Amino acid sequence: MAAAPEPGEPEERKASCTSLHLSYWKSLKLLGFLDVENTPCARHSILYGSLGSVVAGFGHFLFTSRIRRSCDVGVGGFILVTLGCWFHCRYNYAKQRIQERIAREEIKKKILYEGTHLDPERKHNGSSSN
Amino acid sequence: MAHATQVGLQDATSPIMEELIIFHDHALMIIFLICFLVLYALFLTLTTKLTNTSISDAQEMETVWTILPAIILVLIALPSLRILYMTDEVNDPSFTIKSIGHQWYWTYEYTDYGGLIFNSYMLPPLFLEPGDLRLLDVDNRVVLPVEAPVRMMITSQDVLHSWAVPTLGLKTDAIPGRLNQTTFTATRPGVYYGQCSEICGANHSFMPIVLELIPLKIFEMGPVFTL
Repeated sequence: MAAAPEPGEPEERKASCTSLHLSYWKSLKLLGFLDVENTPCARHSILYGSLGSVVAGFGHFLFTSRIRRSCDVGVGGFILVTLGCWFHCRYNYAKQRIQERIAREEIKKKILYEGTHLDPERKHNGSSSN
Repeated sequence: MAHATQVGLQDATSPIMEELIIFHDHALMIIFLICFLVLYALFLTLTTKLTNTSISDAQEMETVWTILPAIILVLIALPSLRILYMTDEVNDPSFTIKSIGHQWYWTYEYTDYGGLIFNSYMLPPLFLEPGDLRLLDVDNRVVLPVEAPVRMMITSQDVLHSWAVPTLGLKTDAIPGRLNQTTFTATRPGVYYGQCSEICGANHSFMPIVLELIPLKIFEMGPVFTL
């Protein structure tokens, strides 16, 4: 059975409810669906893409003074730089995940087999001493 | 389970679901860039003051907008096919459970180590305890071990149903007269929810699936078989 609320409690509950709602809406979603905060490599790619877009577009304008074409170059630069950073970051992320998985498996094996004849370290030391 | 207002995928509880989330992020980034390009083209169309009536052909542009989408499709298809074949791998399951769909409940059979068969009905609202989830909790959960490959054989006794658990990346149709197989390996313990995913009558929304994943040591002690 719920206890009667203390004088301070309703405000604390309200504050925690508010923070709960805020936490649901805190994540930034570009165009309403790309969650930049929680998707690995998304924030990095979008930031570098924006930088590349500004550099390419502004640089083109400085050389040609053509506004519309510079905007096109800026948009193209954004897409290309974002894609390039995205693939590069995701490739490294995939490599990191593989390394993490290997390390996790090795730690598990070490815990399980330490001191037994299946200990990988014992096998490795035995083969190196031979 | 999903929290209120959740639109995205749930956190992964199996390696396949982790791969699916990675692929989803990859596809979503490509979709975002295409949408950005289309919005920019729309903006240009709406703001242009030029009326050009003398264009007769645009070979370069047509070549680009044929080859570029083909490349994009290849970039999406390759990881997709990789995951598709990954889901079809059968990696020597250590445990097999049969799941039979009925109107409107599930029957589970643990026949590997004994003849345990039980029904899993949704808990009606009047029977919910404080903390129970409305329309999700059931009277008898499916108890399974963590980090052990499990094979689910799914079928139905009457109409089409679908056995789905989003956090494991599973959705398999329960078809009368047919035995479908799916395998999974859960990576963390917990209670995971799913719902019937094929329209099957009046109470289609009221036949949930609840998996209780427990450490293998505890599972081997036999809590499942004390019903």
